[in-house]
Amino acid sequence: MSTTNQMSGGSNVGRRIYRVDPSSALASAWKVAGGIGLLGAVGAAFGFVRAHDRFAYSYLFAFFAVLTLALGFLFFVLIQHLTGAGWSVTVRRLAEFFMSGLVIFPVLAIPLLLSTASLFPWMSHRGAEHGESAPAEEHHSALDFLVRDANAAPPAPPSQPAVPAMRHGGGSKAFAEELEQAEHAEHAEILHGKLGYLNRGFFYTRAVAYFAFWCWISITLFRLSTEQDKTKKLENTVKAQRLAPVATILFGLTLTFAAIDWTMALEPLWYSTMYGVYAFAAGVVAMFALLTLVALAFRRSGLMGNAITAEHFHDLGKLTFGFLIFWAYITFSQFFLVWYSNIPEELTYYHRRWPVHGGAWKVISLALFFVKFVIPFLVLLSRNVKRHTVLLAIGAAIIVVMHVVEMYWVVMPNYASGAFAPNWLDLACLLTVGGLYLAVVLRNMTAHSLIPVGDPRLERAEHFQNA
Amino acid sequence: MSSSMHPRSERPATRQPVLLLAEYSTTSHVVHAAEKVRDAGYSHWDTHTPFPIHGMDSAMGLKDSRIGWIVLVMGVLGLATGLSMYLYMNEFNYPIVVGGKPPGALPAAVPVYFELTVLFSAFGAVFGMLHLNRLPRHNHPIFESDRFRAASDDKFFVSIEACDPKFNLESTRNLLESTHPSAVELIEEKEAHSCSH
Repeated sequence: MSTTNQMSGGSNVGRRIYRVDPSSALASAWKVAGGIGLLGAVGAAFGFVRAHDRFAYSYLFAFFAVLTLALGFLFFVLIQHLTGAGWSVTVRRLAEFFMSGLVIFPVLAIPLLLSTASLFPWMSHRGAEHGESAPAEEHHSALDFLVRDANAAPPAPPSQPAVPAMRHGGGSKAFAEELEQAEHAEHAEILHGKLGYLNRGFFYTRAVAYFAFWCWISITLFRLSTEQDKTKKLENTVKAQRLAPVATILFGLTLTFAAIDWTMALEPLWYSTMYGVYAFAAGVVAMFALLTLVALAFRRSGLMGNAITAEHFHDLGKLTFGFLIFWAYITFSQFFLVWYSNIPEELTYYHRRWPVHGGAWKVISLALFFVKFVIPFLVLLSRNVKRHTVLLAIGAAIIVVMHVVEMYWVVMPNYASGAFAPNWLDLACLLTVGGLYLAVVLRNMTAHSLIPVGDPRLERAEHFQNA
Repeated sequence: MSSSMHPRSERPATRQPVLLLAEYSTTSHVVHAAEKVRDAGYSHWDTHTPFPIHGMDSAMGLKDSRIGWIVLVMGVLGLATGLSMYLYMNEFNYPIVVGGKPPGALPAAVPVYFELTVLFSAFGAVFGMLHLNRLPRHNHPIFESDRFRAASDDKFFVSIEACDPKFNLESTRNLLESTHPSAVELIEEKEAHSCSH
C-alpha cells in the first residue's frame, strides 16, 4: 500500500488520503515521460531541419492524435459538471489530470504552426481575401497544384464509365480535354470561394482562439476541483457547474473548427459536413477507453483503495461501448454518403485511403472497421465483461491503439504521393508530443490527490450502484 | 375490493394454501428476509417492493437474467436476415445496377442490416421479457390479499408459493415470522395453484 499522508496538511482527518507516494516510481514517472519527450524532440528537431515536409506531416499526426484524446478528457469533465453527475466523482480527478495536460499544447503547437506551408497548399496563396483584384487567369496558376491534386485522384470507379465516353459514345479527344479544362476552372473557382476562410491570417487567429479557450477552461476547472480538496467548499462545485453549459458549447465549436483547420484543410477541395463530429467521436471513444485503462491500473496499484468499484467500471465500460457505436455510426455515415453519391470531388478522400496506393491504406481502412469496431464491440457487449477487468482492459487497449492508427490514416495519405511509407519521424514526433503531454499529466498526479476528496458527492460516488 | 366481493371465503372447507405473504415496513428488513429465504433453499418465491432496492439481486441469489442471450440471438438473426435478404435479392434474384454500385455491394444496405438487427433485438427484449416474467397472465393469487396493495406504495413483501418443494405451512410460516415482518398472511384458493415452471 503506497498511500501516504506525508504531503498533506491535517485537513483530511479521519478520511483516507489518495496520494502518490513521493518515494514511489510513479512520483518520478513524469521525469521519465518528459525525458522520452525531449529525446523524441531531438529526433523531431533533426527532422524539422533535414526533412521538413515529412516532419510536418509526422508532427501533425502525433499532435492531432494526442490532442483529440486530451480534448476528450476535457469533454468528460465538462459533461460531469453539466449533468451534476455523482457516480463519476471517484474517477473524475483522473480525467482532470489528463485534461490539465492541455496547457502544454500551445507550446507543442509551435512546430506545427511553423510548418503550415508544408501542410496546407492554400497557405501560400497571398491576397486571397481580395480576390477581385487579381485576374482570373492568375488564380488558375496559383491554384494549379491543388487542382492537379484533385484531378490525379479517382477517375470514375470501374463500374462507371468515364463521363465523356458516356456522353459522346467514344468521345473526341478534344472534347475530353475541353471538359477537363472546364473542371479545372471549376475547381479553381471552388477553391477561390474557400480562401476567405482558408488563409494565413485567419488560420492563425483561430488557432490562438482555440488554445486560449482550451487552456482557460482546463486551468479553471482543474483549479476549482483541486482547490476544493482543501477548502471542501460547495461553491467550487457550483462554479464549475455554472461554467459547464457555455463551455460545452464553446468546446463543440472549437473542436469542430480545429478539426477542419488542421486535418480537413489538408485536402482543401474535399469537405465533409460531419468532419467535426467525426473528430469528436474518435477523441471521445479513445478517451473513455484510456480512462478505463488508467482507472484499472490505479485500482490495481492500490492507490485508489475501494473508491473505484466494479460499478464504476461497469459505467465506464458502458460509455466506452456506447461511444464506440457512436464513432462507428459517424465514421460509416461519412463514408456511406461519399461512397453512395459517387462524385469524384468527394471520393478523393476515400480513394486515397483505399485503392490508389496499394494495400496498406486499404488494410488500415478495413482494420478500422474490424479491429477498432467489431472486435471491441463483441468484447464489450456483455455486462459481465464490463464489470470484470481483464477483458475490459483488452477491449479498451485495442481502442486506444487503433485511435493512434486512425489518426495516422487521417493525416498521412495527404503526404507527397500519399503512399504508405512509415518513417522514424512518425515515432519521434509521437514520442515528443505524447511524452511531454504525459509529463504534465503525471506531474499533476504527484502534486494533487488522486480523488476529489473535497467533493460533497464523494461519499455517494463511493457507494454508487447500477440499478 | 371490499370483503363482500370474496364469495370463495364462504366455502373454507375446499380451500388450499397457495401462498405465504410476509409484509415489512423497511427495506433493510425485506433484504434480510430475502437473504434468509434464499439461504433456506426456496426456489418458488419472490419479493415485491414499490421501488428497486440496491443489493436485492444478490440478497435473493438471483443469477443474471437470460434476457441478454435472447436479445443477442435475435440481434444476430436480424443481422443475418438483413444481409441475406439484400444479397439474395440484389445479387441473385434480380441483380440491378443502381447509382453505379455493382449488384450485391455490401455497404449499400448497411442501414437495412442495422435496422433489422435493432428491430429483432427489440422484439427479443420485449417479448423475451414477457416470456421470462410469464406474462401476460390475468390474475395471480397474491392479489387476493388487500394488504398487498401497499406493495406499490409504502410496504415491502416476501411471498413463498405453496408449490415450492420446500414449502411446509408450519415451518415456512415460522421462517417468515423469524424475519421480523409486520404481518404474515396465508392466501388460499379453491383449487390448488400450479406453478408454471
